[in-house]
Amino acid sequence: MILSLRICRPIALAGLVAFVLVFFSAQFASAQETDTIDKDSAAKLFPKAPYSPAAGRDFPTHVYWGDTHVHTSFSMDAGAFGARLGPKDAYIFAKGNEVTTSTGQRAKLTCPLDFIAVTDHSDNMGFFPELFAGKPEMLADPTGRRWYDMVQSGKGADAAIEIIVAFSQGKFPKALESRPGTEAYRRAWDETIKAAEEANEPGKFTAFIGYEWTSNTGGNNLHRNILFRDNGDKASMVEPYTTQKPEGSDNPRDLWKWMTEYEQKTGGQVLTLAHNGNLSNGRMFPLIESFTGKPIDREYAQTRAFRERIYEVTQIKGDGEAHPFLSPNDEFAGYEKWDKGNLDLSVLKTNDMLEFEYARAALRNGLKLEKELGVNPYKFGMVGSTDAHTGLATADEDNFWGKTSSSEPSPDRATHPFVKTDKAVIMGWEQAASGYAGVWATDNTRQALFDAMQRKEVYATTGPRMIVRFFGGWEFDAKDALSRNPANPGYLKGVPMGGDIRNAPAGKSPTFLVAALKDPIGGNLDRVQVIKGWLDASGQTHERIYDVAVSDNRKISADGRCKTPVGDTVDVPNATYTNTIGASELITVWKDPEFDAAQRAFYYVRVLEIPTPRWTAYDAKYFGITMPKEVPMKGQERAYTSPIWYTPAN
Amino acid sequence: MFQKILREPLVHFLILGALLLFASNLINKRTSGDTRKIVITPGQVEHLEDTFARAHQRPPDPDELKGLIRDYVREEVYYREALALGLDRDDAPIRQRLRQKMEFISEDVAAQAQPTGEQLRSYLSDHPEKFRIDKHFTFTQVYLDPARHGRRLNSDAQQMLVQLNKSGPRADVSNMGDPFLLEGNTKDVSSRGVARDYGEKFAASLGQLPPGKWVGPIESGLGMLLVCVTNRTDGRLPQLDEVREAVRREWANDYRLESNRQFYQALLNRYTVTVELPPPPADTKTPAAAVRRP
Repeated sequence: MILSLRICRPIALAGLVAFVLVFFSAQFASAQETDTIDKDSAAKLFPKAPYSPAAGRDFPTHVYWGDTHVHTSFSMDAGAFGARLGPKDAYIFAKGNEVTTSTGQRAKLTCPLDFIAVTDHSDNMGFFPELFAGKPEMLADPTGRRWYDMVQSGKGADAAIEIIVAFSQGKFPKALESRPGTEAYRRAWDETIKAAEEANEPGKFTAFIGYEWTSNTGGNNLHRNILFRDNGDKASMVEPYTTQKPEGSDNPRDLWKWMTEYEQKTGGQVLTLAHNGNLSNGRMFPLIESFTGKPIDREYAQTRAFRERIYEVTQIKGDGEAHPFLSPNDEFAGYEKWDKGNLDLSVLKTNDMLEFEYARAALRNGLKLEKELGVNPYKFGMVGSTDAHTGLATADEDNFWGKTSSSEPSPDRATHPFVKTDKAVIMGWEQAASGYAGVWATDNTRQALFDAMQRKEVYATTGPRMIVRFFGGWEFDAKDALSRNPANPGYLKGVPMGGDIRNAPAGKSPTFLVAALKDPIGGNLDRVQVIKGWLDASGQTHERIYDVAVSDNRKISADGRCKTPVGDTVDVPNATYTNTIGASELITVWKDPEFDAAQRAFYYVRVLEIPTPRWTAYDAKYFGITMPKEVPMKGQERAYTSPIWYTPAN
Repeated sequence: MFQKILREPLVHFLILGALLLFASNLINKRTSGDTRKIVITPGQVEHLEDTFARAHQRPPDPDELKGLIRDYVREEVYYREALALGLDRDDAPIRQRLRQKMEFISEDVAAQAQPTGEQLRSYLSDHPEKFRIDKHFTFTQVYLDPARHGRRLNSDAQQMLVQLNKSGPRADVSNMGDPFLLEGNTKDVSSRGVARDYGEKFAASLGQLPPGKWVGPIESGLGMLLVCVTNRTDGRLPQLDEVREAVRREWANDYRLESNRQFYQALLNRYTVTVELPPPPADTKTPAAAVRRP
């Protein structure tokens, strides 16, 4: 009961109000709270641009790129797959430095990332006795002192050998055995924190402290990552929550409890984001909780909405935005699809599971649940990340280092089975070079990025770093799409991605300012779409896709769709393409043509690039090999924004 | 009759079990005298409590503690018996884990090293390019979307340039050019930062431009831009004090890698390694590929 009360309050505050309080000046706030603003009052708020261009603008002007999900050799499975790079190496690589990979190859990002989180599995994390990290006891002991001096004089390797010998002969100094038994787990967590603290450079590069809670009962993926807003001083007051009993649990409700306990104990903040609903066999976004067999209740909905504000929608083990079975009219659904079974392929997939696995379907069911329970448990924003188990956060098609160290570039990585059971096979080529998280934050710090994630001002891409803006409000008009900087009218007259619009003024339909700019080193843009989902009066949910801006002067029909494909310039044998089709930038204002003020709805943006070569084409070219016929060699990369939700009054 | 019994699989199993037991007893006796004694010390109990408390945010109650201890004993029994049977030897995850523990030792030792100022200075002078401070630019841009201007792009650009140069570097560009998602004014950004947003090519062009003058159109990865660079700070090699932390980090990383290498080398030197490759298969793969595969 206490729990639900505490959670209730922040939910009531979420969205608009919290956003306004934290991020806007008083002037902005007055415009935001009413949600409506006419031109005259806008002119009053902004009578004239201030002399200093940055003055009076507290909104995020920069999108920061990162990966919330990188495994290193500290993860049991990564180590078993041959990963040799630890958290330190993962950060060094993400910052744009060259590293030697676990298979001895040289790897470097084309463009550095702004942040990553190393999220090793909490179960069986790392191993090792705390040897002697700078302890005074160690220096007081003559042997310890000698080792210390050896290290200082550059004979670290010799010292390490001596230590091992001392261990093996039972001559290890008692003074150094300060803990009973080996404290492997603690040790790995300390190392993880230490690596993040060292790599973190506020303003330049953010290294989140984090871990993965890998609930996988029966092979059904309910995995979630946990990120800390805090620094090491707080994170080290606890140890990661595991799934193994008795310490841990495989039920997300227990993880949420752990999060609350952490926050109470330390005064800090943590968030969690799930991934790979596509491998959960119908359990990721349930209507019936798999742990109890009962319909989810209000407390579940409240806690999930509060704890899980973003979802990792695309990654190497497949894309989870939409499935063709659920969205038969969406010709772009089914991108990089993994739908053969659960994570270990012990149980095959059936169509009835899909509705509870894919993000779009979950957003729809969320509207239904909100009507029933008063809270929408699936009101999440979207990010992409890699889930690389190599320490290498790569999502570029021409620089893809695979899911595991055994799938780092080699002539046969595409044609080796990735998972194989007697029921099904997932081949190496099915890995997706995806994805990254774009975060509209005010600064590149743990705190600013975390807060942006919590307010869902984030979006997912399958790798390319396109810039996407999405604002919703009641007063956007065509002129706003022509303004020099679309963010100015965007924040002034509406809410950004992840926000809420409510209280529809009589006779008004919601309007959206949508803008996308290509990755400076990526493919041009094919089209920008708004995807709407809504709940009708009879309690049924629906979805509809609108093409709102398309390249090359193609026509959008009266039904809101552009049926002319953008074309294709991909030269597969050479793994190249040209930007002779598509647009570098697409900006528009779109108004919902079928708005019903009584119906709950969500709107999110999908941006599609022109076709470009897939990583398998780059592999074929580089290694001079021929891929089997069934291997896709090109694709249309994309971005998914967090939705904007419309909620009717009452 | 006797022969028939000998053929029974169950009997085989029993005999095998007895043999294993005998062997493990032998090994146990040989390795240590007190492998049959399991003593749970107060320190270990505290450790169990401690671990539980960190995970649950509360100490275990007496029943839970009993359970923890019971489970720990069970683990210890199985652990010892498994080791005695050599079950660790062919188990890939266990081998990996032990290897990782060794690597931790090496990493930890390396982490103790604190560089002297002299070491940092010489590291900086040996690796100047790692710490070079990038060129920095302050510039204003006006964007021209190729899709909007088409063939008129160049003439439109020239017209705008005339106008812009009349107003000079402080020209108000808030209403000039096409809508663009990147900020019009960019203040004191490194060329790496420029490349991140506009592409390498544009960042390189920026370095060639005469300051204080509107020029263009300049190609970027995004379209054409008219640009006025108002301030440029040349790249330079920093003094140690400016980058001490970065140098320390790089030094420590190099030291770590080198010390890991030496550590392994020293251990390796204690062994004679003989690799006996299987005879190469008739045609199929090249030897290099065959060796590479795990």
